[in-house]
Order: sequence, then structure tokens, then C-alpha cells
Amino acid sequence: MNCSDIRARLHAYVDGELTVSDIAEVDGHCVGCPECAALVSAEREFRELLRRQPRDAAPSELRARILGRVRRDAAFATGRRWLLLPTVAMAAAIVAAVLLPARTPPPLVADLVDKHIAYAQIERPAELPSTNPREVAEWFQSKAGMRVTVPDYSPSGIQLTGARLAEAHERKAAYLLYEKGRTLLSVFMVPISASEPALPGRRVSYRDHDYVAYEQKGYRTVSWSDGQAVYGLVSMLDYDALLECAERLRAERARQTRL
Amino acid sequence: MALVHLDALYHVALRLTRNRAEAEDVVQEAFLRAFRSFHRFNPGTNCRAWLFTILRNVFLNRVRTQGREVLEAEMGGVDQAEVMADTHVGANPEEQFLQTVLHGDVDRAFAMLPLAFREAVLLVDIEGLTYREVAEIVGCPIGTVMSRLSRGRALLRRALVRFAREHGYVKEGE
Repeated sequence: MNCSDIRARLHAYVDGELTVSDIAEVDGHCVGCPECAALVSAEREFRELLRRQPRDAAPSELRARILGRVRRDAAFATGRRWLLLPTVAMAAAIVAAVLLPARTPPPLVADLVDKHIAYAQIERPAELPSTNPREVAEWFQSKAGMRVTVPDYSPSGIQLTGARLAEAHERKAAYLLYEKGRTLLSVFMVPISASEPALPGRRVSYRDHDYVAYEQKGYRTVSWSDGQAVYGLVSMLDYDALLECAERLRAERARQTRL
Repeated sequence: MALVHLDALYHVALRLTRNRAEAEDVVQEAFLRAFRSFHRFNPGTNCRAWLFTILRNVFLNRVRTQGREVLEAEMGGVDQAEVMADTHVGANPEEQFLQTVLHGDVDRAFAMLPLAFREAVLLVDIEGLTYREVAEIVGCPIGTVMSRLSRGRALLRRALVRFAREHGYVKEGE
């Protein structure tokens, strides 16, 4: 890529919308080109400035008014039970706990974010390129004796692209790679011993399950522990999508453990 | 019970309507519509993006009923603004003026952007949505989102540099 290629891709690069190989090319170019590197950092700073702006919270009367109307609607529909169902489902999806990520993530989560960033720079990050969850699960079993749950997110447009063995906190970890469009999603599973304390951090409740959510270096993370392993999702995808993916992985894991 | 996305929706509604009372009405209507049509929501997709789509439709419907003039003011001005944004504000004066942006400057600059640019920058930069999600909300190709985004950012920059000059932080010609 030359300077004008970089400039044409500047916004997509800063927004995390380039493919992994394009990201690597832009990075490579910027190492040797201070002008383009300056443009990138100016664009980043500008975005930071926009994000730092104070946000207006909705007035509490508005909140109360909407909830009042919703309840009235629901009460009106009690005669027709089927009409109530969407409201109940809605309650789970948009009426969940408020997400307020704290500042510093636990070291393990910070480590996973660094891994995500590092592998995003590599041309072929997967040791095993595969779109087949079963094949990936078998690969972990035969290569490392790990029982890894490989969720299929393809109905939501999130495609499995491969897997690799990684290290997190000096432990062998399973690393699953997904892509939604050009946005990467990393799913890590790090085995822990039963005596290890639960994941520290601020809890977020989603569909009756507890998660830890952090934003680190511009990436969002959702993690949890089931006593046997710590699971961590890292991506630029928003929290709705991440929590939904986490829920599905958790449910799939529970199902496999029961079998 | 807490409405998770209420603050985000209200914030976007404020930027779209530029008026608190209007923003509240738009948000309330959008939420009620969302509850009633929740069976149309595709689980696993981005709930916030879906809510933004509804919010935007509510807003545009209201603008339409307010009459032609308002609608033209919102939808028009794009060509002119595109020409203005063509001159790229370089990276050099950037570092300086970013330090001098005063409280309220960004709000002012945002309010001056034509709707098409305002919503693209708002949804990507402030709300953190992907290009594809914004394209679906706005109902245009991803390429259009990209060009509106880069032009919208350029227009914002220009306005901020101008305010910095007004405050006397950046000298003429810088």
C-alpha cells in the first residue's frame, strides 16, 4: 500500500472496519511513514475527543413515563396472553441491568485483550482455519486434550474462522476466532483450578447470569467463570452482541456438561 | 426494571431533534413502538441498533408532518456541505486545536451538521456501531456511510477549528 491507499482507508482503519490483512498492511506502512502515522493518530485523537463528550442522561420523569405506559399496555393485553409474551421477552433483552464498566480490568482480562490485538495483526491468526465448530472441538481434543465448547454464532452473522492454542497467564488456553463482517470476535477459554477465586470486577447481570464487563484499549470484553474455566469474549462488537454470544456459549457449555 | 438503552436513545434523539421536549417525545414513542413490535426483533442481532432504527423512523415521520420546510432543511444541504468538506483539514493544526475545544463546542458543531452527516458520525463515533449496522439503520449502502462519515468528520473539524479561532486559540492561517 502507498500513502494514497492508506489515506483512502484511514477512517475504516481507525474504526476497526478493515480486514486483518489490511490492518497489518496499514500498520506496516505507518512504521516507515511518519506522515501517515500522524494522520492516523490525529484521526484517533479526534474520535477520542468526540467520545469524551459528556452525555445527557434521560430525565427520570421520562423513564417513569415510559415504564408506566409499558405497564399499562401490558395490563391491557392480559386478556390476550400471547400479546404479553413479546413484552416479557423484551424485558430480558432491553430491560436488563445497566452496564457500567469499571476502569481497570482484572489482569487476566487485560491479557486477553492484548492477545486479541496481537492476533489481529497477524495475516493468518488461526492455527486451524475452519468454519466447522465440530472440527474445531475435535482439534482441541486431539491436540491438547481439551474439551472446548465451540458455539455456532452463524445465525447472527458471526462466522467461525478458526482456532489456535494460546497462552494466557502462563496457562494453555483455547482461542476461537470469529468474524462479523470485518469485526473480529475472540473467544477464550482458560482452564482454572477449582480453588481459584472468582473473577474480580464489577458484575453485570444479563438474563439472570452474572458477567464481568470491561472496556480496555477501545475493545469491549465480557467474561465469566464457571469454576472450571474462565471464559472471555473480546471484540469491537457492542455489549448487546457480546452478552448474547456469552449467553449462548454458557448455555451450550451447560448442555454439553450435562451429556 | 430499568430501560437499558434509554440513555443512549435519548442522547441520539437530542442530537437528531436538537430540542429536549422533542427528544423526549421521540424516545417515548420509539420505546412504545419497540415493545409492541418486539416479535419483529431478530434475537442475537444488535438490540440497540434495532431501537435506533425505530427511533430514526419516528423522528423522520414527525419531521415530515411538520412540513416541507423542516424536511428540506434536514435532508437538504448535503451537496453544499460535501463541497465544503472537500478541503481536508490536515493533521498539523489538529493537535493544537484539540486541546482548545471548549465545553459546548462539539455540541454546537454537531448541531450545524446536515442530518445525513450528523447521524453517521453520531452512530459510529459516539454510539460505536459498525458501518454495516449504520447502513441498515439509515437504509443506504456501506460506501455511502463511509463517505458521509469522512465528510461529516471533516465538517466537524472545520467548525471546531473555526470556534478555536473565535476563542483566539488558533491564529488565522494555521
